[in-house]
Amino acid sequence: MNSRRTTAAVILAVTVAGAVLPPLLGAADLPTAQHHLAHSALIAGAVFAGVLFALPSRDTQVGHYGWLLTATLAPIAAMLLMWPSKYTWFEVHPAGHVVEHLGLVGLGFLSGYAGQRYAAGIGWASGLSLFAMAFASAWGFGVAPPGAIAASVSPHATKAGSAVAGPPDPVRGKTLFAQNCAACHGSNGGGGQGPSLLHERERKSFTLAQQWIIDPAPPMPKLYPASLSRTDVRDVAAYVEQL
Amino acid sequence: MSTAIDDAGDRRGKRVMWTYIVCGLSIFTLMLLVGILLRGSQAAWFALDAGVFYSLLSLHGVGMLTALTISGLGTLWYLVNRETPLNEGVAYVAFSLFVGGVAAVIVSVVVGHYGALWTMLYPLPFVGTYWPSWATGAWLIGTLLVMVGFTIWCAQILGALVVRFGGLNGMLGIDYVLRNRAFVQSGKEPPAPEMFAAAITAIDGFIAATAGLLVGIALLVHWLDPTVALDPLWAKNLTYMFGHTFANLTMYMAVAGIYVGLPLCTKRSYHTSVQLTVAWWATLTFVIIAYFHHLYMDFAQAQSVQYIGEIASYLAAIPVVVVTVYGGVLLVHRSGMRWTLGSMFLFAGMIGWVVGGFAAVLDATIPVNVDLHNTLWVPGHFHTYLLEGVVLFTLGWVFVNLEARSGGQTSALVRWLVGVGMFGGGALFLLSFYLAGAAGVPRRYAVEPAPGPFFANIATIGALVLLAGFILAASEALRLARLKPAHVPL
Ligand code: HEC
Ligand code: HEM
Repeated sequence: MNSRRTTAAVILAVTVAGAVLPPLLGAADLPTAQHHLAHSALIAGAVFAGVLFALPSRDTQVGHYGWLLTATLAPIAAMLLMWPSKYTWFEVHPAGHVVEHLGLVGLGFLSGYAGQRYAAGIGWASGLSLFAMAFASAWGFGVAPPGAIAASVSPHATKAGSAVAGPPDPVRGKTLFAQNCAACHGSNGGGGQGPSLLHERERKSFTLAQQWIIDPAPPMPKLYPASLSRTDVRDVAAYVEQL
Repeated sequence: MSTAIDDAGDRRGKRVMWTYIVCGLSIFTLMLLVGILLRGSQAAWFALDAGVFYSLLSLHGVGMLTALTISGLGTLWYLVNRETPLNEGVAYVAFSLFVGGVAAVIVSVVVGHYGALWTMLYPLPFVGTYWPSWATGAWLIGTLLVMVGFTIWCAQILGALVVRFGGLNGMLGIDYVLRNRAFVQSGKEPPAPEMFAAAITAIDGFIAATAGLLVGIALLVHWLDPTVALDPLWAKNLTYMFGHTFANLTMYMAVAGIYVGLPLCTKRSYHTSVQLTVAWWATLTFVIIAYFHHLYMDFAQAQSVQYIGEIASYLAAIPVVVVTVYGGVLLVHRSGMRWTLGSMFLFAGMIGWVVGGFAAVLDATIPVNVDLHNTLWVPGHFHTYLLEGVVLFTLGWVFVNLEARSGGQTSALVRWLVGVGMFGGGALFLLSFYLAGAAGVPRRYAVEPAPGPFFANIATIGALVLLAGFILAASEALRLARLKPAHVPL
């Protein structure tokens, strides 16, 4: 065993410990986004170990094509393992969670190792690709912002007309405005295809503004309730009243 | 020509190439007919139900891009195989994934009426659909198969080039540019121009496929388990990072036809220069971030990325067009080149590339985009680029090969007819996109008065003329292919 492989073994051991211990100690109960980030850390360790373990090759020919196929398919399998809602199941069963983590580590190792065996550098490429996918998952895979589409799909969207609890949130309203209204009313409400909404509170009260958004006159589209929930209407109206 | 491989290896490479090209062009022909159907219905020649229109549009978009990608990948595979022998089993594995993917997509559209377009923007394939859920699933699985095949292709070429040229440094000509004197004095040679086309396709393709696989897997998971919600803006970024790059790369694949094909016509060689290398670096870097120009209307995203998108669009497109076309024109200039179908297509393709690229750059310019970006101008620019650029390069490459192999000639009359059909018909088809687009309103308006069937009429006539030219060219290709091989110069 040379020193590269020793280093690889140490990294792998640390990664496996990171994969096994948190679920067993009950410390793996994270929100989805952070969970993805933790997984990407495991994958980084595993890929690195795999690449180091493969030793540098001075070949003037590429390796067996089986290595190539393994290196391209392993990341895909790993990403399927990152299926977010399965976490509930895995979290109920710590052993299941451990198995899932070990799967990620194994597939990460394989991406790096098999890639390097095919040609120097390919292990980095496929390992990096897997890492990037796992890391980027934190911003959208099972992680949706409050707002238009999530609300329309969610069965919890508030029923039409019913009162909404809590104070209006104009900051959230600003995001909703950028997503749903800015295309017509301009990114700052200054107008575009639709009229300017500056000083709207002088024309329409908070209540009237909400009524308008719930049931506007054409050509303004009716976005409620298909893409805006009742809470969304309240928040976006609160934002408009501040313009 | 470098001949790193023996005749048997070359023959194997050719078999892979022709398998890919014949399949690609067959899909192309089918999608051409679908396109004419779309345009004809806009001209009110017959009525298409709106749902059927969107289903066919979805098929047309993804089918065309996949068709041209398959032909381009086959060509590059053959060219790389000449430099460093490749395992053809891998090429056939990737090929079967492409074919399987296209088949799944066809089933999804024809039987299931999937209609959320080739961009399958989340949540469109899932919300308020008029097609059954399995059609969305078949579509997602089909596109994933294509992406996996593409990834395998990229990884194979990447590995081969890394080994052949000794790492990224050699494969991208970094020493050749930065330490030019030492490099040249040591008697080394930079990679041939077509190797840059292969390298950029493989590297950017691999990066783009990473984005595509991530969003593809996320969509598949959402399909299987709707409680897994996705962030729509996140999905859109990934979708276009893949989609725009994938569509754009078809051009960079097809350009190999100029680098290798044009020299065969002019009996001169196309050399790698420092300018050419640097231009390819620009494409390498910027093609992957130019996609932000698809998010100009996403005000929830920071404005800075929109400017990045604008600048990257310029830098990805302009340098390599300028250098390549300049080099190509120099090659032809006073070479006494004989006009054959092959050289004619390659030359005309350069014109289409420049015109389509210019229209694209116009559209990527934000103040212009605000006014011009609508569903006529946009198809105008990318159809120029694809139909009178990528497709012509592909056909040019096919004919250059067939002509060289058979020593056969095409009569001047047939050449004229094909030219009038494909360029004249193409011009009618494209001009009406541009004119109607310029006369139309920006797409963000709630009500978009249709420009009426006038332009669509002209466009459909143009497309039919083009179809006639294409059929004539295809039958000429079959005739040349059946002639006995005269010699094997490649
Ligand atoms: C497709 C374009 C479009 C979109 C999207 C749109 N609007 Fe409008 N909006 C209009 C037009 C056009 C009018 C003028 C309608 C009229 O008065 O006939 C209007 C009018 C209004 C008014 C009344 C202005 C007045 O005269 O007092 C308000 C308030 C308003 N919009 C808010 C919103 C909000 C909030 C959103 C996002 C949830 C939104 N709009 C989305 C086009 C749009
Ligand atoms: C004569 C040949 C062709 C005809 C008649 C044709 C026709 C059309 C029409 C009518 C549209 C719809 C535009 C709209 O209303 O939005 C369209 C879209 C499109 N076409 Fe073509 N086309 C042709 C060739 C090509 C080629 C060669 C390619 C690419 C290789 C291509 C790729 C696409 C793509 C990607 C779309 C967009 C699909 C979408 O919006 O999702 N087409 N075409």
